[in-house]
Amino acid sequence: MTNESFENVILELRRGVIVLAVLSQLGEQQYGYSLIKRLSESGLEIDQGTLYPLLRRLESQGLLKSDWRIEADRPRRYYVLSDEGRNLLPRLKEEWTGIVSMMDEML
Amino acid sequence: MNLIDTYVSEVGRHLPKKTRADIEAEIRSILQDMLEERSQKTGKPVDEEMTLEVLKAYGAPEKVAATYLGERYLIGPRLYPIFMLVLRIVLMVTGSLAIIGLGIALSQTLGNSQNAFETILKAIANFAASIITALGNIVLIFAILEWALYRAGGKVEVKGLPKEKEWDPRLLMKISPPNRVKLGEMIAEIIGCFAAIVIFNFYPQIIGFTPSLNGVVESGNWAVGFGNVTFTPLLSETFFHFVPYMTLVWALTIILNIVLLRMGYWTAVTRIFLISLKIISIIIVAAMLAGPSLIAVTTSTLTTAIGDADTARILMIMLTQFVRFALWITIIGNGIEIIRAAYRLATNNVLSITTGKS
Repeated sequence: MTNESFENVILELRRGVIVLAVLSQLGEQQYGYSLIKRLSESGLEIDQGTLYPLLRRLESQGLLKSDWRIEADRPRRYYVLSDEGRNLLPRLKEEWTGIVSMMDEML
Repeated sequence: MNLIDTYVSEVGRHLPKKTRADIEAEIRSILQDMLEERSQKTGKPVDEEMTLEVLKAYGAPEKVAATYLGERYLIGPRLYPIFMLVLRIVLMVTGSLAIIGLGIALSQTLGNSQNAFETILKAIANFAASIITALGNIVLIFAILEWALYRAGGKVEVKGLPKEKEWDPRLLMKISPPNRVKLGEMIAEIIGCFAAIVIFNFYPQIIGFTPSLNGVVESGNWAVGFGNVTFTPLLSETFFHFVPYMTLVWALTIILNIVLLRMGYWTAVTRIFLISLKIISIIIVAAMLAGPSLIAVTTSTLTTAIGDADTARILMIMLTQFVRFALWITIIGNGIEIIRAAYRLATNNVLSITTGKS
């Protein structure tokens, strides 16, 4: 496998976990930039062009809610899990655990 | 207006009005966060150079806007198969009409090679123009449909596309090669039947000939109007008695072909319908063979037209034989079609009993 192919597969793998990673970090309110830093500190680097549109999509799906707040004389948009998102998260975690053990067995 | 504002409004230019202000505000906020962090890290105040670095890292405005838009299509994957089907049908119809038009135009320029050459060139130019117009119109209509579907958020079912839950793998047996409807064949038959209905019912005068002023026999009605020449129909009254029955068969053939085009494959019912139509056709043609002459022209009218009795007599014999030959060919052709359809009907039944129900 060439280096490029390897990178592509890794990218695909990471893409699959982004939604769950984002939802898992939004139990408390975060604005976009703080979320990207938090994920980065945990080891998941997400491109800004991927994260911000994703946050909007999750909000339009009803899993997140957002509100604008003025902080230090400028507005910031804060995202947090909606009730629906909170209900969904434990089920997603369960699903993830299942996938991990299945893959552990397989590998 | 500072650099950030210019950048943000440039991103906004590529966004739909509905969400523009909101996304612009969000991007502005993110960029300010990035600048703030960079300023803290470097211990330097925000300046133009730092702003340029942050904007470069954030990406080209159109690329940033594209991430908010998702994938957009002029004609998307959902509509593409129908688009291609419509395109093929329209191109085939346009092509056929162009060929028919060229045939008529060429016969009007009989004996004049220069005019014929001009006619062909004109026909090619007209054909190219009609293809481009047709293509443009179809793309426009589908682009509007795609836009409407995009606006509806993909909640609309597209008619004509198979729905996921209706998908039945047993359909594959029905659409195995012998049962698959051949698009070109169907469309050609529709065009042929339609042309026959129009010509025999509304323009029967096309089929005939007119002795022109210089004594040359010209076919069709374009010589009508030159002096006192009279148009002589080629086909007799007897033939036109059969036209209503033939029209019925042609109309039913068109309906059958449209149904088949929609379904995409032959079924037992459509095959039985086809066999019935072919049997009716054979009965009509057999009645034509058994009845009085279908040709209105006689040896004497031909002699008047050509001016030579012997040639006229030979031509008359050839014409009569040709008509009989054409009728027999039609009967044989229909017979072969019946045998073929009956064979497919029988073998498909065996298939569905042995493999379909197991």
